[in-house]
Amino acid sequence: MSRPLLEVANLRVAYGAGWRRVEAVRGVSFEIARGRCLGVVGESGSGKSTLARAILALEDRVSGRIEFAGQDVLALDRAAKRAFRRRAQMVFQDPLGSLNPRVQAGAALAEVLRVHGLAGTRAEAARQTADWLETVGLDPAYAGRFPHELSGGQRQRVNLARALCVGAEFLVADGPVSSLDVSVQAQILNLLKSLQETRGITWMLIGHDLAVMRHMADEVLVMKAGEVVERGPAADVLARPLQAYTRELLDAAPDVARALDRRAAAAASLELNRGPVPEQDVPA
Amino acid sequence: MLTAAGLGVGFLPEPGRRVAVVEGVDLCLRAGRTTALVGESGCGKSVTAAALGGLLPRGLARDRGEIRWANGIPCRPGRGLAYVFQDPGECLDPVFTIGSQIRETLPPEERGQARARMAALLRTVGFAEPERVLASYPHQLSGGMQQRAMLAMALASRPRVLVADEPTTALDVTVQAKILRLLADLQRLENLAVLLITHNLGVVAEIADEVHVMYAGRTVESGPVELLRNPRHPYVRGLLQALPQLAGSAERLAGIEGSVPSPGRRPAGCRFHPRCAEARALCREKEPELRSCAAGHAVACWACAEGGWA
Repeated sequence: MSRPLLEVANLRVAYGAGWRRVEAVRGVSFEIARGRCLGVVGESGSGKSTLARAILALEDRVSGRIEFAGQDVLALDRAAKRAFRRRAQMVFQDPLGSLNPRVQAGAALAEVLRVHGLAGTRAEAARQTADWLETVGLDPAYAGRFPHELSGGQRQRVNLARALCVGAEFLVADGPVSSLDVSVQAQILNLLKSLQETRGITWMLIGHDLAVMRHMADEVLVMKAGEVVERGPAADVLARPLQAYTRELLDAAPDVARALDRRAAAAASLELNRGPVPEQDVPA
Repeated sequence: MLTAAGLGVGFLPEPGRRVAVVEGVDLCLRAGRTTALVGESGCGKSVTAAALGGLLPRGLARDRGEIRWANGIPCRPGRGLAYVFQDPGECLDPVFTIGSQIRETLPPEERGQARARMAALLRTVGFAEPERVLASYPHQLSGGMQQRAMLAMALASRPRVLVADEPTTALDVTVQAKILRLLADLQRLENLAVLLITHNLGVVAEIADEVHVMYAGRTVESGPVELLRNPRHPYVRGLLQALPQLAGSAERLAGIEGSVPSPGRRPAGCRFHPRCAEARALCREKEPELRSCAAGHAVACWACAEGGWA
């Protein structure tokens, strides 16, 4: 088997100094094979977003080793970092907050293409923009729309197009669907999946919805207080968790079928235990 | 406890023109029961809830239907209802302590023993050290604790109906589970009628007794929570299929294509027909009414109407 696209070993990220020093990520190691999806789950404050930022070289005080396609990410110079950022991109949770309200969708994409020197002329940029919008399932006519004229799902598609248009092969998505309605969420998740299949995109999906992870991730990493609690194939970890914390997360996740079964069982046992109602308990 | 019949909310962009936001919604909230209002954003769930307490934003007016207490007395806006919203951090004033904010919502006759009553309220919502919480400012509490404080504040006015609008959406799953359990306990202890507004069907299945599914301002299916096992309306079925399941597989999800039409752009006939795979000519022409299909279970769909497709 070829080497994984991303290898992370004993990664540590710290904030603050002296007595205020806090380690947000404490010695995390994992790898992601090309074309696979790694899910990172944990509650707020577990360090999952910091981990994502560190991998994309967006954090300063990082120790450990991050190797992307054989390159040491922590030792990149400016030019190499720019090339790296073209290959590894981030998609944020809040699609409205990560788009400039005064820039039309098409212009936002064209700007990225220009900055990375991928489109020489205006016409070339417009052509590529239209292509990318189509790739993410948007009519190219949407290029002229401002973010507020798009729905949440459409904005997230624009964000995806912006990340992909520079030729990214590795995408870190931090809660990409957590602010969307279920029907739209399903559309976006299907899009992520088809991008993984047709374009061989490697994903790192961050979130707290375990059911989403079950659908999307090949492997999951469960984080708590900056450390990895459990790691393994999604089907195993989420069906037969070995750690108490993972089990706790699974139990807390609201799930329609399980909740209805649980309540039906509770109602049935109540019926059994109650038996015939004693005479004196009936109020007059 | 509280019934709303034929509730309609309109938006009046100019004199003489009315755009309906919510139409013909019937709700019956019972003491000790939790009723859930579900649907995607833009379906009118929050507007319906706001209309119950007279909390509609300017420009929207409840101009159809009536809201009455069980004894037939019309419901005066804001009386007997308390609200809990999604973002407790935004509802709490950052410059006042929790104690002074709860004190404001106490009925005048209870201000005398305010401290004891507030401590009791905070204990009800699960705080072990109420005195410390009373003296805290909102930023000193976590999201879950802030939501508990909001619940205490809501209970201070001794409401009979508690309206919880996405109360756990901003919280982590483990905290969400705790708040939901607390909500269920409070409902039983205080014999409250709870109206839960959420888009999360998992949350509905956990604590609701009855469900009202709304689409584009109308109720499309309502009944006991067990209806989620086998819903009749194509929209509700679509929502459930779009939902990733813990016991599911890595297969593709069946989403509902398209999006909720905005008020004023709602199609003729059944509002769901442009997104419905089962739509036929009748669906495009005539709007189906909410009809009972089993005990307590009603559906607004031609395909499920008596005799099915005739």
